[in-house]
Amino acid sequence: MYFYLYDSFLNNKKYTSILAKIENRLIDLGINGKIEKLSVLKSAQEVVEDNIKSGADTIVAVGNEATFAKIVPLVAKQNGITLGFIPVVENAIAKFLGIPLGEKACDILSSRLIERIDLGKANDFYFFSELNIPESKDLTLECNGGHFRINSTNHSNIIQICNLTYTPLKREVGSRKFCDPRDGLLEAIFTPTTSFLGRSRLDLNKRSVFPIRKIKIKSSNSLSLIADGETVIKTPVLVQVAPKKLKLIVGKERKF
Amino acid sequence: MNMFKKEEGEIKEGETETIIGPSVKVEGDFHGEGSVVVEGQVSGTLRTNQNLRIGANAKIKADIQAANVLIAGEVRGNLQIKEKAELKSTAKVTGDITTKVISIETGAVLNGKCTSGNGIGEVKESPKPKIRNNRNNNLKKEEF
Repeated sequence: MYFYLYDSFLNNKKYTSILAKIENRLIDLGINGKIEKLSVLKSAQEVVEDNIKSGADTIVAVGNEATFAKIVPLVAKQNGITLGFIPVVENAIAKFLGIPLGEKACDILSSRLIERIDLGKANDFYFFSELNIPESKDLTLECNGGHFRINSTNHSNIIQICNLTYTPLKREVGSRKFCDPRDGLLEAIFTPTTSFLGRSRLDLNKRSVFPIRKIKIKSSNSLSLIADGETVIKTPVLVQVAPKKLKLIVGKERKF
Repeated sequence: MNMFKKEEGEIKEGETETIIGPSVKVEGDFHGEGSVVVEGQVSGTLRTNQNLRIGANAKIKADIQAANVLIAGEVRGNLQIKEKAELKSTAKVTGDITTKVISIETGAVLNGKCTSGNGIGEVKESPKPKIRNNRNNNLKKEEF
């Protein structure tokens, strides 16, 4: 049974027509189901849990990348539930998953090409894409059970723990090396920043990439880490990979 | 054996690859999952069962184990290489090298003992248990 969760921003009138087209297409394909719209008064967690109890086995997030990032940890906590996504506005996640915008995404849902992908787990919180760590002088990253430590030498790195990346890891034209969300590994990525004409730029050619399974992030002062651009987690944080944790409906044009 | 795609040490895309860039320092027992590229600093031990490339600006104070190694930077420690060790003209190695094949460019500095040749650097496999066959080529239960 399908359950469709609309994000609160879709209450805006400008989305009425696109939502009507999506709903008609779902009926045509015979995959229509219960619809709920999020609002200030409705928590996504309660809505998802209630509908899974009522028998929903496929949860479909309808909205943008923030909607998707919000629903992933909720679905990951449940066993055997499949996640689908209907993007209503252009976003990087949809392109990565090979899902077109609006009503065309319904055809992807209908063909049910399912990939089991890894998720990152930071303490008890699951994340889909990346965990951003602010640079700090007293920051230490202990990898794979404390066998080795990584320290920044210039303290001007952008540090991320990635399950997947939407842009290639290398700058070279034609490079297709992305973090693979099916390899059972996370990547700790350090990208140094350089100053050019008073503006800060990322130096992708001097990136460091460490494939890891488990990493402990410690600092003497409390640091705030941001998972998928949504959730804030305070140090100390134990980050590990949760292999094949999420069943996800993807398109043929996916980038992994 | 063409261990690197380009002369400068480009490793094929798609392999699990660790890159230790110039802005980081790694301390401890580092065991890479696949090919490893070092452009920064490493101290402790450095192991991989695939290729290792040490860039011109890299500084390593560690014992190293790898299948193949290309060195253009500074290494202090002993190297145990299964197949081939290549020292570029900018390489400075202080330590012993054990490998099957070695190549040293003019200008490279090596202070230490170098042992090379067939059978050197190979990991010895434990001998397989002998199984005696009888005439019907069947194995008796007691032999297991």
